[in-house]
Amino acid sequence: MLVTQEFTVKVNDETVLDNINLDFGPGIHIIMGPNGVGKSTFAHAIMGNPKYQTEGAVEFFGKDLLAMETWERSRAGLFMSFQQPTPISGLSNFQFIKQATYSHTEKQNISALLKNFKEHANNLHLEDEWDKKQLNVEASGGEKKKNELIQMLMLNPRCAILDEPDSGLDVDALQSLTEVIEDFARDDKIVIIVSHYENLIKRLNVDTVTVLGKDKTVRGDVTLAYKVLEEGFKNVE
Amino acid sequence: MTDLNNLQQNKYTAGFETITDSESFEPGLTEEVVKRLSAIKNEPEWITEFRLKAFKHLQTITEPTWANVNYNPIDYQALSYYSAPKYRNKEDIPQEILDTFEKLGVPLHERDALLGIEDQNKIPTVAVDAVFDSVSIATTFQAELKKQGIIFCSISEAIQEHPELVKEYLGSVIPAKDNYFACLNSAVFTDGTFCYIPKGVKCPMELNTYFRINARNTGQFERTLIIADADSYVSYLEGCTAPAYDENTLHAAVVELVTHDRAEIKYSTVQNWYPGDENGVGGVLNFVTKRGLCKGESSKISWTQVETGSAVTWKYPSCILRGDNSVGEFYSVAVTKGKQMADTGTKMLHVGKNTKSTIISKGISFGDSSNTYRGQVRIGKTATNSRNYTQCDSLMLDNSKALTIPVVSQYNNSSIVEHEASAGKLSEEALFYLQSRGLDEENAVNCVVNGFCKDVFQKLPLEFAAEANKLLSVTLEGAVG
Repeated sequence: MLVTQEFTVKVNDETVLDNINLDFGPGIHIIMGPNGVGKSTFAHAIMGNPKYQTEGAVEFFGKDLLAMETWERSRAGLFMSFQQPTPISGLSNFQFIKQATYSHTEKQNISALLKNFKEHANNLHLEDEWDKKQLNVEASGGEKKKNELIQMLMLNPRCAILDEPDSGLDVDALQSLTEVIEDFARDDKIVIIVSHYENLIKRLNVDTVTVLGKDKTVRGDVTLAYKVLEEGFKNVE
Repeated sequence: MTDLNNLQQNKYTAGFETITDSESFEPGLTEEVVKRLSAIKNEPEWITEFRLKAFKHLQTITEPTWANVNYNPIDYQALSYYSAPKYRNKEDIPQEILDTFEKLGVPLHERDALLGIEDQNKIPTVAVDAVFDSVSIATTFQAELKKQGIIFCSISEAIQEHPELVKEYLGSVIPAKDNYFACLNSAVFTDGTFCYIPKGVKCPMELNTYFRINARNTGQFERTLIIADADSYVSYLEGCTAPAYDENTLHAAVVELVTHDRAEIKYSTVQNWYPGDENGVGGVLNFVTKRGLCKGESSKISWTQVETGSAVTWKYPSCILRGDNSVGEFYSVAVTKGKQMADTGTKMLHVGKNTKSTIISKGISFGDSSNTYRGQVRIGKTATNSRNYTQCDSLMLDNSKALTIPVVSQYNNSSIVEHEASAGKLSEEALFYLQSRGLDEENAVNCVVNGFCKDVFQKLPLEFAAEANKLLSVTLEGAVG
């Protein structure tokens, strides 16, 4: 379970998210909201981006998440896929995943790890030498998004927050994405998706929909998402 | 009798002092000292003359002040110009000195280097010349190399055994009058390495010199001379460390390289002299003149350096591209932290036709350090159809300063000069991204910095690249947080 209580997020003393009380259990959850309302901020603040100051409490499987460093949150089973994954030149995708998995668990057999990585890359139709490519350098928007998914699958977190995982994806890639998410969620995982694309939402078995608003937060089932998609955010009461 | 004080708190693992009986000169620099030095080394008169001429010139010049570094004035009279451990012959090297090199991971016995090599006919990968303060302690695989006509020995030995070669090349690339520190070195150089690769020979192993400063208040003035005759090839590695003393230690080396027609020298350095403590007390003053002459056509000299140590670095490994179609390369990673100051770079002087040079410099600075790249590319009138490509990148953290001073002068119209530069702070965003996958801060910084240096590390010989990587992580350990 991921539970936020009176969760407030500020950037340079300016409040972006005010007093958010939400809980997420196993299943697929959608977060929507008008531009600039702080959806990405929510994801980053949960992950511990030092740019944000947080107040209130966030509980993650009984742990006090806000007291933990970012890497501790990751090691505790939290994952976030970035809307714009950061390029790191000179660091290959596989070197990175190796470092990341080693930081989570005991050192694993490297060839098994590589085999696993290549399988995921292959399933997502990434090019053959994907493991050798530099992390998020010279990759298309869609490739970067797929690479985030590989990282999620390799690290196998208990809870994944996906910040607009569908932007920049073509129809085929969107299909792969939904399959990956459905498959992943089946295993009692918490998946929180920041998105406002009908194409993604309608393909998933959504458990809850949360609309972040300037003044208040509304929670509902998937019909709330369709209402927003048809009528806009204004009519969500 | 060995005192191996590991200075853990400083993260500088090579900072221990070795207690050994040694013979040292009293501090002071006079004509008498120069003569005595030459006499103790039993040198022929022409070397004594070479020294005395340099000493005489030294009296008329002063230290350069243009570099972007600060240090307390050096009292040359307070330094000792010779310190050698006492032993009778090479079979009688004191145990504590052997232990020192073993601790530093330098294989002094051929059998050590051969350990793990099962195939009797397989040639070991590295031959070593180990220099301890003012003298060369041991040089391995000389006999093996001699079979192919390769000379690999200390410069002192070369002066005795191969005077004709030393006479021809010593000071031919860096004349004694070149600059203050080169002049000082020419007067008081003690030991260093001499290599000669004969015509058509590809040296079958890496030649490695390991310089260790041990004595206090002693300057180290090593002299290295490498000659690659026509159609030959050699890869040479240089490593250096020093104890962690409160006083500054002066290191003023001269390295000269000469390549004849179609010959190639690949010269790699991992410099890890003691950088001083976090308050800037102590550390090595590293004032080094390194220059290669591509004398023959289509010859090549490649400098690769990884600089993590020294309190102050003043060093510009350069190439004179005299032969037509000759190639000069400079690949550098310079890391400074704490109060370290580095002013380093290269000179590429194009003289021959169709000459090519490449410069890739990566400066990384942490803490209050300053890191300057200073480069000069000169494409002369005769150097038609020549090319230079320069790339200078700097990565900064904390209050550190990075400065890039490239000077380009071109005296013909048929040549092309390209320059790219970037300067950036280590991005918080990149660190957050890496940490969100479970890497702790140190590991995240390591990943970014290693990636940043990758172009240069790829140029290092394999074993050296691993060492450079390790050294870099150790250096970063103290730097972050």
